[in-house]
Amino acid sequence: MGVTCVCQVPVAEGKSVQQTVDILHKKLEQLGAVKQGSFCVDCETYHATGNVSGQPTKLLYVMHNSETPLSCLALFEGGPCLIADANFDVLMVKLKSHFQNAKGHKVECRGSRYRYCDFLIKVGTVTMSSSARGISVEVEYCPCVVPGDCWNLVKEFMQSFLGSSVPELPSVFAAKPEGLFAPADSVDTMTQYLELFNKLRKQQIPGSNVR
Amino acid sequence: MEAPPVTVMPVTGGTINMMEYLLQGSVLDQSLESLLHRLRGLCDNMEPESFIDHELVYLLKGQQGNPFILRARRSLSHPTSPWHLRYLGQPEVGDKSRHALVRNCVDVAASHSLPEFLNEMGFRMDHEFVANGHIFRKGAMKIVVSKLSRILVPGNTDNTERLSLSYLVELSVLAPAGQDTVSEDMRSFAEQLKPLVHLEKIDPSKQRH
Repeated sequence: MGVTCVCQVPVAEGKSVQQTVDILHKKLEQLGAVKQGSFCVDCETYHATGNVSGQPTKLLYVMHNSETPLSCLALFEGGPCLIADANFDVLMVKLKSHFQNAKGHKVECRGSRYRYCDFLIKVGTVTMSSSARGISVEVEYCPCVVPGDCWNLVKEFMQSFLGSSVPELPSVFAAKPEGLFAPADSVDTMTQYLELFNKLRKQQIPGSNVR
Repeated sequence: MEAPPVTVMPVTGGTINMMEYLLQGSVLDQSLESLLHRLRGLCDNMEPESFIDHELVYLLKGQQGNPFILRARRSLSHPTSPWHLRYLGQPEVGDKSRHALVRNCVDVAASHSLPEFLNEMGFRMDHEFVANGHIFRKGAMKIVVSKLSRILVPGNTDNTERLSLSYLVELSVLAPAGQDTVSEDMRSFAEQLKPLVHLEKIDPSKQRH
């Protein structure tokens, strides 16, 4: 796993989510990127039951990434995280009296996967309860694991197809004490996806009630 | 780099329920060598593996009912290996003629942040111990001969004290639910270990005081 940046792309003016995704695909293909299959990142939310009243309910997120199909990542926001194999989902079913699955909160991000030299680009549609809520773009620069060394290159590459929607250095990298080293596991990538999903969850869908 | 396969339906829950079939017994220290010798003869032709594991048992106390138990195990001889998290269900009450103890089993490999993560989930460590011994295989059957030791200072696995003057012998098979021939095969294997060790079905719930 190389340095990976996940960001949200706003829907183009006057266009639908699908149309914006198609525009991005076209731009990538014009650059010379080659489509290589599809990807899926999903996130389920569990509430801890039996909490002391007065304390906020702990939320446990269990995420999957098709890039690592045999693993899953379980994390508490701002807390410890665990990388486990796919049987962890079966364990969560056994724990259902202690951790309730908030089924309405399941978020999925699906889309196409593109390869351009050393970059891996994934453009996905984020859906919650089968309604499209936004567009995500994940860019991975495979040869490098030190964000500080390649951030400028990644940003320049993203500008070539995202134009002005290029993000700043993701907070997961900025917050690292030694400066700048992305570990070999996918925790940083999944944390970025979780931040994106939570941000999209809070956004109101135009014309619907606030949840 | 090829894309890994993407399933259309997410595979969560509802997967095959694996059951653990178990027979247990023990041998005194002085009989260990004879047992190991016989097992080397009966089991698959490969070097028997020895192991030193540290197991921590965690409890999650809910609002009602019995606490939820999880067992976290790590290898002291291979410290970089992942942790092994295990859930064991209640023994299946059923056919009295069934020869082995049958219970639902979920095994999860986990990263080294497991103890901290379990604490965050609300689990508290109930007890821990060190197990060291040998592991043999015969087809799907696993035979583990281990010495259990008590940990005197919490977290310190160097300072241990043997719990007894014997070795625990466990014969187990992990199989999907409904395969009843498994306990037959286990019983016939157990017959071959008599009289060195008598492996029987021991119900853990009957052990509690």
